[in-house]
Parts: sequence; C-alpha cells; structure tokens
Amino acid sequence: MADRKQTLRLGFEGHLRKVDVTLPATEATPWDADSKLEIVGTEVPRLDGHLKVSGRAKYTFDVALPGMLWAAVLRSPHPAARIESIDVSKAEGQPGVKAVLAVAKPGDTLRFAGQDVAAVAAERPEQARDALALIEVRYTPLPFVVDTEGAMRDKAPRVHEAPITERRTEGDEPGKAKAGGMQGNVRALPPNERGNVDKALRESDVVHEATYVTQVQTHSALETHGVLVRWDGDQSMTVWASTQGIFSVRDEMAEVFGLAPSKVRVITEYLGGGFGAKFGASAPGSRLGFIAGELSRLARAPVKLMCDRHEEHVCTGNRPDSRQAVALGGRRGKLHAIDVVAHGTAGIGTGAGVGRNAFSLYTRCPNARVRAHDVFTNGGPGTAMRAPGHPQGAFALELALDELAAKMGVDPLKLRLDHDEHPLRSMQLRQGAERFGWDELRKRSAQLRSRNTRVRKGVGVASSLWGDFGRANAAVATCSVLRDGTIELKNGVQDIGGGIPTVIAQVGAEVFARPLSTIRVRYGDSDYGPSVGSGGSTTTSSVTPAVRNACEQARVALQELAAKQLKVPAGEVRWDGDGTAHGGGGSITFGQLCKKIDGEAIVATATRPATYGHEPMAFPGSKFYQIAGAQFAEVEVDTWTGVVRATRVLAVHDCGRVMNPLTLRSQINGGVIQGTSYALMEERVLDGDLGRMLNPNLESYKILGARDVPEIEVMLTEVHTGANNTGAVGIGEPATVPTAAAIACAVYDALGVPVRSLPITPAKVLEALGMIPGRPA
Amino acid sequence: MSEPANRRGAPKGGLTRRGLFRGVGTATLLGGCVDRTSTTDPGGHAVVDDATAPAELGPDRVPVRFTLNGESVEAAVEPRTTLLDALRLDLDTTGPKLVCDRGSCSACLVLVDGLPRNSCMMLAHDVAGREVTTVEGLSKGDELSALQHAFVRHDALQCGFCTSGMLISCAALLRRRPKGEPLTATQVQDAIAGNLCRCGTYPHVVAAVLEVASGKTERAGA
Repeated sequence: MADRKQTLRLGFEGHLRKVDVTLPATEATPWDADSKLEIVGTEVPRLDGHLKVSGRAKYTFDVALPGMLWAAVLRSPHPAARIESIDVSKAEGQPGVKAVLAVAKPGDTLRFAGQDVAAVAAERPEQARDALALIEVRYTPLPFVVDTEGAMRDKAPRVHEAPITERRTEGDEPGKAKAGGMQGNVRALPPNERGNVDKALRESDVVHEATYVTQVQTHSALETHGVLVRWDGDQSMTVWASTQGIFSVRDEMAEVFGLAPSKVRVITEYLGGGFGAKFGASAPGSRLGFIAGELSRLARAPVKLMCDRHEEHVCTGNRPDSRQAVALGGRRGKLHAIDVVAHGTAGIGTGAGVGRNAFSLYTRCPNARVRAHDVFTNGGPGTAMRAPGHPQGAFALELALDELAAKMGVDPLKLRLDHDEHPLRSMQLRQGAERFGWDELRKRSAQLRSRNTRVRKGVGVASSLWGDFGRANAAVATCSVLRDGTIELKNGVQDIGGGIPTVIAQVGAEVFARPLSTIRVRYGDSDYGPSVGSGGSTTTSSVTPAVRNACEQARVALQELAAKQLKVPAGEVRWDGDGTAHGGGGSITFGQLCKKIDGEAIVATATRPATYGHEPMAFPGSKFYQIAGAQFAEVEVDTWTGVVRATRVLAVHDCGRVMNPLTLRSQINGGVIQGTSYALMEERVLDGDLGRMLNPNLESYKILGARDVPEIEVMLTEVHTGANNTGAVGIGEPATVPTAAAIACAVYDALGVPVRSLPITPAKVLEALGMIPGRPA
Repeated sequence: MSEPANRRGAPKGGLTRRGLFRGVGTATLLGGCVDRTSTTDPGGHAVVDDATAPAELGPDRVPVRFTLNGESVEAAVEPRTTLLDALRLDLDTTGPKLVCDRGSCSACLVLVDGLPRNSCMMLAHDVAGREVTTVEGLSKGDELSALQHAFVRHDALQCGFCTSGMLISCAALLRRRPKGEPLTATQVQDAIAGNLCRCGTYPHVVAAVLEVASGKTERAGA
C-alpha cells in the first residue's frame, strides 16, 4: 500500500500550526492537538502498584527455583596485577559447594580492583562466600594509576597496552562517532566545532577561563545487578535478569554460549532500578551472565548470581568524572565563543564525553568547540548513566556562563534567552522565571551578600536538551481481543520503574473506549515479542506507537465483525464511549460482540515506523525531535559551616504528549532528586595508594535522603510533536540533565564566588569563601 | 578530590560483619544469641527465660520459632544467619529486600514486636518467640491497608525496591502517633530519613502518609 499524506496540528501553546506529514499506509493517524483523549493523559495509578506495596512483586533477586544454587565471585584485590596461578581445588568439596570456576587464567592481566577472578556455586549464598576464601591465587602486582590527572602524565603506568574495543549499549546517546587513537592513557573523542573559536576568543572583549571538575558517580540502583540461569536441556535456557534490556541479555547469552537467540528466554517481571548500567547479561565490569551460565552448566542446576553492594559500586558501571577547561568569550554583551576541553575517566572503559550542552544549547553563539577525551585509569569501567555526559557538561557550561554574565554585567537568564534558538525552551525559561520569582529572588541574593549575612540564599537556572530517539521497527506489540471481552496487550518490554505497562494499558483503553480493568498487559518476558531496552529515554516513544497500531488494526477487524452483526457496511459502524457498536438502527455491546469472534481472539501485531516529525525543532544534526527543559533552583548556604541545602527546584519540562501526569511527575521528581544528590553528596572515592574504593557502601557513599529533598514543583509544557502516532517522547534523562548545574549556579549566586567542583561539600564552600586553605585537587 | 568521607570503608577481604562474627569466635557469638538481655539494642528485650533457652547453638542449623505476620513459623538456620536471610531464603518472605546488608538503607525493615528494625542487622535466632511483621503482613489477605492504598494512589513508588521498607517506617509512624494529632511533612521525612530511595519517590511518600494521617481516606491508620 502506498504512503499517505496527512495534515496534523502540531506545536505548543501559542505556537500551533498545521504540518503535512507522510505516513506509511498501515500507520494510525497520529494524535495531535485536535485529538480529544479520555484515558491517555489522565492520572492513572500504576496497575502493578498493589503488588509492589504488598511485597508480592517478585524481582530477579526474589525468584527461587527448586534446587537453585547461589553463586559468589572472587574479585581482584589489586588495581593491576598479573595472575601467576589459580588453584580452586580447596573450594571444591566444601559444604554445599556444587561447582567452582576459574574465570581468569594464569598470565591474565587484571586492570582494576574488583575484576572477575573465580566463582563458586553453592546451596546457600554464605556457603558460596565461605568457599571463595579457600581459592588460592598468586598475583604479581603491577604499577597502576587511579586518578585522572595522574593517568595523563607521560610516565603514568599504561592501563591498556593496546587499543580497546568500545562497549556500546542502548543507554548510550545514539549517533556518536568513532573515537580517535590513544596517546598514553588518553584517547580523543570526536570533536565538535563551528565558526573559528581561537579567532573569536581573541576578538572577545571579556574572556572567562576556568576549570570545572565533576566526580565519579555510581548508579546505585537498589536492586543490584544479577541473573538467574536455568538450562532447559543443553541447547536452550531461561534467564531471569535484573536488566533494563531484556533482548540485550538474550543476545549476549546466545553469543556467549553459542545458542540460537530464539532458544534463550529472558524474564524481568520487576526491576529494582537501572539508571543506565543494566544492559546485557554482563555488568560493565563483570561477566555475570557467563559466570552464572557456566556454573549452572557445570552443576546441572539453576544458578543465581546477585552482586552485593560492594560489587555493585566497583564493577557494575559509573558516571565518569570530568575536568573541563572552559573558555567563554563575550563581545558587546553577547556570547561570542564557547571552548571546552574535557578530560574524564571511565576507568578501564570508555565514554567520558561531556554531552551536547556546550555545543548545541546556545546555538546563537557563532563559535563553539568541544574537545573531550577518555583518560584510562585502573578503576571499574564507566557506562551510560542517566543522560550520559550531559549533567557534567551542563554543570561546567552553565556555571561558566553565570561567571561570564557577572563579568559582563548582564543577567544570566537574559544571556541564556539571547542565545537559545529553541522556541519552546525560551518559553519555558520565561514562564519558569515568572513562576519562580527570578527577578525578586536575584535581588534578595544580592542583598544578603551585601549585608554579609551568615545564611545566604541564591538562585540559579540551567537548561536541558535531549532527543526523542524512539526506535522504528524495534518494538513489536500484539493486541488480542478475547472472546470474554478482555483486551490483551503483549510486548517484551521491561518496566524500569517508569510505569510503561500502565501507559500501554491506557493506550489500549483509549483505542477501544474500554475500562482499564478490561485491559491485561503482558510484559517483562522475551516471549511477548521484540522490544527496546529502557535507555536513551526511548521506551514510551518506541513502545506505545507500536501498541496503538496493533490496537487500531484489531479494532478494524472488530469493526468488520460489528458490521456483519449489524448488517451494515463497516464504514457505517459508530462506536460510543463504552465500546458499544451502533449501525443501521441496531447496536451490539462490546461484550456481546466479542462473543461472536470466530475462534479464540482477534489478534493483530504491529510495530512503528521511523519518526516522521520534530515540531518545533530537531535534535542537532538529526531528524529526531529535540526535547527541551529548564530548571530553576534555590539554595541556602550557611557560610559558617559551609553546608548547602537545596530548598526549592522548579522543573519545567516538555515530554511531548503527557501520557500519565502522575507517573510523569514521579520520573521528574526522580531526575531532580538524583541531580541534587549528584550536586551535593555523591562521590566515589578511590584510594591512590591502594587503588581501591574506600566507600563501597551506602553510608559513606551518600545518596540523598528524604530530609535533603528540595521542594519540587513540576511545570509541564505539553508539545504535539508529530514524532510518532501517540506523540510520546521521553523524560527520564531530560529531567536530570540541568539539576546539578542549576544548584551550582544558585550557590554562586548565594556566595558571590563559584564552587567549581562537584559535589559541593561544606569544605569546598569554606575553601571558596577563603575560610580554610585550599587543598590540591 | 575531597578526603574520603569514611576511612573505615573496608575493602573486600578486610573487615566484614560476618567476618567479625567468625573472628570473635563462636562462643562469643552464641553467648549473644542466648543471652538476649545483654543486648544494648534499644528495641531488644528478653522474651525467653535463660532456663528454657538452649545452652548452645550451632554451628549447624538449629530451629528457631517466632511469629511471622501473625502465624507461628519455624526455620532451621545457622546461628550466623541474619533475620533477613532467614525470611528471604528459608521462609519465602521476599518483601524485605537485601540492598546494603549493613543497616544503612532500611530496605529490609521489618517490625519486631512493633518496632521498626533492620532485619539485615539482626540474627534470626534473636527473634525467637518474638513477633515479626513484614510488608506482607501490613495487608489483610488481599485487602491492602489504607497506607498501602495511598502509596498506590500517590505513586509513592517507582521501581518499588525501597517500598517495603518505606511502608514499614510509615506504618510504624502512624501507629505511634498520638491519637488525633496531625502529622507534619517534617515528621514524615524524619520517619523515613533512614530509608534510601534511588528513584526519588520521597515527595510522593510524604504526600501519601499525610493523606492517611489526615483521615481523608476511607480508613485511617496503617
């Protein structure tokens, strides 16, 4: 069938316009500004809530199979070492022990403290841990380096002898180009440049130059990484995985064990958080899938391998740190040049870029250049973490902008508005500033500074940019209308906590005009059909359009059935608000109609095409829709103790069509809270002498608690994007991009001096105020 | 880089709680198990006479009997087994979650004789004869409590892994609140100060508890 043209009304409040799009013939007519929806867009409590609040939801960690064994992994105590010998014999025959596996071989080089060495499977987890103590390993320790600056020195020990293969996951930002070669431990990432930055900096009448530092953050999902493997014969297996990418687990297990992917079934019914680190059967720094699968094969029993909290911190990924040398040029009150040179470490891994903010947010600045570098160190590998690169990039850029604004004597908000071409973000900044009370609060900060009060208050603002990377043909949804009137929607997507099953049900209820109680959603299982990983904020925009297409196609079949029953042409059938079909003076209720289904069910299966729109603006250099956001933060700083409290955050966000405002607010709260935690508390600390993490727990690796949460106000600016047939785009990542930056700007406003290093600890505040001497970074 | 917040963070193979138990010797540990009056734990108190207590426990599995969500249960566990492991591994009660395994996150919180306790920091044998309530025990069969309903309505959960512990803290707060006295947001925040949540559900948790405390739901109380 040929493509068809369709005119849609797209855009946002005050900026709606008619846009022509070309749609594949099988594509449902997209919901746009003229669509009146009844169930999509309303506050529907998540449908599995009752299972989670009653303790009945079974997470991977909770699943128990008959005869199941527990695995534990012996990990390298050395940040760099060569293995001389491994003797696992004493672990065999220990109480409960059923299988022992040497993961590393003599001659192997270990590159971080926490790397896999050997593993045991036993009847109880404590028996497996006890047996690890009896494995004898001789190591020859090698020189190592764990700090980013140290690793950049000429004489630093080399972390990798040869160029390494980049590990990519669905959590990475799509479209990244290939990196350059390695020099020592430093590897250049693809640069971005427009205009002539060197010339522009020379032409500028004000130049601000400073270095901004961010820390390593760990994902710290509450459910640790882990898998449970059961072999079903020797050519197929079932895997329960704590994963945000069911199909990435399937593919890795199939590859590792030489199985057909169709012979690997992966189940993730409930998932205790992921935040970017849970793709594939392995953790970024540990071959969990291989270890559990191999132990299971050896022991001929199902094997569960769950990381403990220490392992979760050291070998399952992290957000790389950064040192960003920023130069901003101002000319006649305008931003004339942006130059960023960034170095960061993802440990032994890659991906220490600093996101798109510096290059792509303030596009009215004619000259911009970003050059980022991976610096290899003997630490656990970094991996994608909620908007990889962006929070660290936003922090450096936005704080530097405020410092430049101060030097030029212009309001930081005005400087942003002057250089941001995105019409929606400009509106968000303006409306947000009014709601937040920007002008009055800036005046209050200045008064408190001039009175030199002990407690200061400050406000800051920062912007968010992300793309709708919703994937074509990746999610295949099945809609079955059963004879008993139930509508069953199936897709093998996992719920990371965003509540996708509830939104799927809403789409089904909307299309059929049926109550939510008649919709059953099957998910969390590769048997339910291909789907996407929960990465790149793509879940809702990849899955819901596929679900809608399947529903619409099933509804067409149902309409034909209704036409037959009512003895009218299908085109004359009209549906009312409760799913009753009318035509030719007669009517038939939904329940009666379903009983007439020939066979068990009407079944339709569908996916979604590539994006066909990006109103009002595209993500730089792509056809993808650009997701805009801005956050305003207020802080209170005690200048005697240096303690910073984030007191208030106004989060202004676009997420295309708002599918469910209740679960949406939860995700935005989460982005703000994680961003606040990143700004003020979290930091992985590696001991330079030992090369080990000093705070691999949750009492000295601090994450934000209930008493530290700012008052969060969420302001939604809905956009009819025309990107897909439901109009959904993502929010998980955009909501955390600007938080730490806005808080850092607010601290600068409060103190009048910047703290250019995250987390903003009391010591750094006192140091910035000159009350304690600075320490070498 | 700032100074490490805590130099005691032990590297793997260093000092661990269970390692410490092993290191100090079984006798000391068993003494602790038998003599419940010796605990400095504020929630702890003697419930079994020394005369009826076993003279010695372990090192193999020994039966322990207590009340779990209103039902008498018995599990055969080693003296070193934590209450959390006994619940999860031996009693198929997986509502309480293992997250930090050292009392810093409260995901494993349960009520022991009505007081919220980290079940990863107690030995199973320490609850002999006592009443343990997990999140599973907050509802009556399939009927959720008002607090659980409010959690769902306010979306006070995302991934749900902290939720069991959150609910125990909040239920305990509602139960110990003087009758008729309103709760403040600060009091709720204080009550869940030990419950770590990574998804960022705190604001909705506070809203849910305040609604229940205000009595505006169909049924007040936890």
